[in-house]
Amino acid sequence: MMRLFGIETEYGITREDLDAVDPVVESMELVRAHLTASFERRWDYGGEDPHDDARGFRVSGLQQDKEEDDFAKIDAHRPFSYHEMKSDLVLPNGARFYNDHTHPEYSTPECRTLRDLLAHDRAGERVVQRAAERRNRTLGGSHVQLYKNNTDLHGHSYGCHDNYLVSRSIPFPQLVAGLLPFLVSRQVIAGAGKVGVEAQESGFVPGQYQLSQRADFMETDLSVDTMHNRPILNTRDEPHADRAKYRRLHLIIGDANMCEYATALKVGTTQIVLDLIDRGGVPPLELADPVSAVKQISRDPDLKATVRQKQGPALSGLEVQEQYYLAARRMLAGADAETDWVLGEWGETLRLLAQDRSQLVGKLDWVTKLWLLETFVREERIGWDDPWLASLDLEYHNVNADRGLYLGLEAEGKAWRMTTEADIEQALSAGPHDTRGGLRGLCVRRFPDQIKSMQWERIQFSGGLKGKTLEMGNLFDPTEVKACAEIFERAASPVEAVAAWSIRKEPQS
Amino acid sequence: MITQMMPERREGPVDPMPKAPSPPEEGGGPRRPDTGSPDKDSLMKRMKKVDPKQAERYRQRTGQ
Repeated sequence: MMRLFGIETEYGITREDLDAVDPVVESMELVRAHLTASFERRWDYGGEDPHDDARGFRVSGLQQDKEEDDFAKIDAHRPFSYHEMKSDLVLPNGARFYNDHTHPEYSTPECRTLRDLLAHDRAGERVVQRAAERRNRTLGGSHVQLYKNNTDLHGHSYGCHDNYLVSRSIPFPQLVAGLLPFLVSRQVIAGAGKVGVEAQESGFVPGQYQLSQRADFMETDLSVDTMHNRPILNTRDEPHADRAKYRRLHLIIGDANMCEYATALKVGTTQIVLDLIDRGGVPPLELADPVSAVKQISRDPDLKATVRQKQGPALSGLEVQEQYYLAARRMLAGADAETDWVLGEWGETLRLLAQDRSQLVGKLDWVTKLWLLETFVREERIGWDDPWLASLDLEYHNVNADRGLYLGLEAEGKAWRMTTEADIEQALSAGPHDTRGGLRGLCVRRFPDQIKSMQWERIQFSGGLKGKTLEMGNLFDPTEVKACAEIFERAASPVEAVAAWSIRKEPQS
Repeated sequence: MITQMMPERREGPVDPMPKAPSPPEEGGGPRRPDTGSPDKDSLMKRMKKVDPKQAERYRQRTGQ
């Protein structure tokens, strides 16, 4: 199966010097603070339509549409345009950085390896934090703070979506059946941890520690919606690629991870399960009530809670994961180096979760955060319902290296790293050399004044009489990507490059 | 206590996708936590500086 994945992260944003924060203005100003070091390109929204459903129909409206319309009416009276508000940037590394639904969002360029993905996910943290530092210099104090998390602990959630290129030859019902039990239980590895229980708009009940930030907000198995009635498996059919050949699996159930290891396993194990589905090798599991199961598993850090199957014995989250792991090991061991690495770490992590989770401090977020909080509770002699713990939960995710608890832990060498600082700096300056994300970044660096518009699968250039658009909806073969990049590296203009690429492609079409 | 809970030092995992060597001082592959000498005071100090009411004030709009 062709491997291509990426992560979109909506960051929480606040101003500590204001009693009332306008998130639209703050998110816009933050993104625009980045402009001093990058290029502004108008994003082409033509490829975005969240109303097509992968189940084979089109919805007339999303549940969020009315709320969006209401906000649009308010925003219409603001002293800036829609494009200014969105402040959609494409960065020299092929990433997208913009204001989405009042949150600064960083979407990594498309990646083919976990190492590249981790470097670009970390690069996103640096981009938003450096933008905050520029904004704070303008404001005259360290007022803007950013959080790589998924909840305000008052019933409002925002997402971290992991995306995968999937062949459309796999029937969607097969994807759903193969993924649901896996996604319900994935939080035992990839949960970011949370103090308290909350639900949309209904406030916060302290005192209970959960594996996942997002579990409380899952309301249905399948849905095209993402802001209300949130689904375990989002059915949005927006491939950002050749629709006849590909789907984009758009997963909204995941938490934003600080731990590189958790990010690597979250994406690595999901990709492996997609490979299993493609080969017809997933374990025959079907949960009786997936939505309840997500919450049951999340609310038991002892990992003893069991969830019902439609047939067969109730299973714990660990047992569900173990069944997937064993099926993957049987079918995929030896497939390639990255698959073998993920299989080895997946199995070891499940073993340690069952036997000695303290060894996973610095590797899994929910374990690391719980360890910090347990230590603090003992030292300060406070109860688990003390509001201080919610503040510590929040601060765990602060991407300011001088304040963030996770980043403090990492600075002390207690967090597992795959990336080096050199990897992250490289990811800030260029995208992966073997994906269209890298090609997108190359065009931004080489031809900043000749780009008319950009989106995931297309770049339109200005100038010349013909051949102005680089189509990338089928550009996934790494050899082809590199050949195209070489042409764009050498060409005197993008129009010349597009023409040369078209000639090269002609004999194949 | 943090010192009692930190994991033992173990060998690092295999680099999943070997690449060109990085500078010697940074190493080329994944690094496990350095658990030999946890600086409990530093981390606890950082935690104690967190305003207990910070989360109470933190409000966001619903995102995706």
